[in-house]
Amino acid sequence: MAATLVIERAGPLVSIQDAGRFGYLAHGISASGPMDAGAFKRAGVLAGSGGAAGIEFSMLGLDLLVAEGEAVMGWDGGTFEVSVNGRTQSWPSSVLLAAGDRLTISAGTGGNYGYLRFGGEIDVPLVMGSRATSMRARIGGLDGRALRAGDMLGVTQHITNRRAALGLDPRADAGAAAIEGGNDGPRVKPEGSSVFGVRLGNDAAPKTVSGGPIRFVWGLHAEVFGTELREKFVTSAFRISSMMDRMGVRLRDEAAVFAEARILSLVSDPVVVGDIQILGDGTPIVLGRDHQPTGGYPRIGTIISADLDRFFQLRPNAELVFAPVGLDHAQALLRSGIA
Amino acid sequence: MQILPERPMVQALGDSAILVRFGSRLDENANRRAIGFAATLESEEIAGIIEVVPSLVSVLLRYDPLISRHQDIEGEIRLRLHDALEERAGAAHGIGVRFGGEAGPDLEEVAGLLKISAEKFMAQHNAVPLRVLATGFAPGFVYCGFHPDALVLPRRDKVRALVPAGSVLFAAGQTAIAATDIPTGWHVIGHTDFSNFDPAAEPPTRLRAGDSVSFEVA
Repeated sequence: MAATLVIERAGPLVSIQDAGRFGYLAHGISASGPMDAGAFKRAGVLAGSGGAAGIEFSMLGLDLLVAEGEAVMGWDGGTFEVSVNGRTQSWPSSVLLAAGDRLTISAGTGGNYGYLRFGGEIDVPLVMGSRATSMRARIGGLDGRALRAGDMLGVTQHITNRRAALGLDPRADAGAAAIEGGNDGPRVKPEGSSVFGVRLGNDAAPKTVSGGPIRFVWGLHAEVFGTELREKFVTSAFRISSMMDRMGVRLRDEAAVFAEARILSLVSDPVVVGDIQILGDGTPIVLGRDHQPTGGYPRIGTIISADLDRFFQLRPNAELVFAPVGLDHAQALLRSGIA
Repeated sequence: MQILPERPMVQALGDSAILVRFGSRLDENANRRAIGFAATLESEEIAGIIEVVPSLVSVLLRYDPLISRHQDIEGEIRLRLHDALEERAGAAHGIGVRFGGEAGPDLEEVAGLLKISAEKFMAQHNAVPLRVLATGFAPGFVYCGFHPDALVLPRRDKVRALVPAGSVLFAAGQTAIAATDIPTGWHVIGHTDFSNFDPAAEPPTRLRAGDSVSFEVA
């Protein structure tokens, strides 16, 4: 089972991603990879995890047409509207699409990023060991750029039996005939059923993008800001601004926490995803997966790994507060998986 | 009075990385110690470290928090900081540069600010090899230094939105080479055909921190 897909509409920042291109920071290249890594994985499980790469889309989603062949597709991340040939589907879910089928994903009620994964691999070359698009380095994915209308993507041979993907008995020839018997609609996996025999546990349940403080550990330059300002930082609310992309998310500092701070320009040091940098004009910016490898602005803290996905799904205008935690706590959260 | 070098600072950078910093400002000593410590980590590996990234005055170490605890990694780091730091014997590169004109629109202005002729600037700029201080900012972007005090200028007031790959940049007592198209506030003094970023090559960059670079008029 292989397929050729045609992108008919792409919102901004739709790109091919895989888990990330790690190990090249010393060459000036950050890892990229999905902004919401957990949702990316869950969409992969829904699709049967046949390929390491998937499509990340932003709030406006994308439309695609299966031009040839067939492929299982799974989706998750945020809450989007999804339909196949005009028929509404559930979110998250998975479906087998065949030639002529149209998938439409459009803005929904929550989140910034969603993921479309496939039963097979997206046919783009590995660049430095990864298919992830780095828009900053202009490598990976499709020619190192965002996807746009008219792009064609191949999805390679499925590694798993497609009937199993649909929860059908592979011996039931009648069912198979129905699948091959035309284009009268998608075959939606019955909700709550197992996918490829893997029961979806809590891990795969959709995570709500809701409140709760964003936890962080104090950073490299926390001392630069002084006790009073640090106290204000953890007791004031910030808002997500509309200036966000895969490189960083600017925050609105409505409580003017950093208005009076004297921001020094520092010698550049390596930065990491989740770093909370304070720009020269006092604007806080949280670094995303396509971050610069180094930065010279002071960093008051770094969002813990367990909260990164949730943070990047916060929509513009969402209010958030930051809560400091210790390193032991941050790492224990990861190990326990209860994040 | 002898000024002792700053004690290295070992600081967590989130829950999956640690930064070891050898100075809060960029100077020869801090940079050499950072490069030396990265070399030490190559010969005396720390179990659990998945990436070592030397920078201008610091070294980033990434680890997997599901496998290693930060206390253990920090302990291993401190053990290695007591050792005499290695000096990495870098490779030597010759880099041809077309100075001035369209290739280097700021050359005349730079020479003027330094109150010397463009010819004299090029001669002084190329007089001695520089060290690659670090890769950073963008793929394959290298900082080379240091020039003598007589060749120190601040950055431009205005940032250029885009300069092409191969641009040779000058500011803050350093010469930098852009390996991709980038925005920059540095003075653009020339252009080189030397490419320091090839995603199809392994490794994808040719210049490493600690290497020596001789600039020549192309």
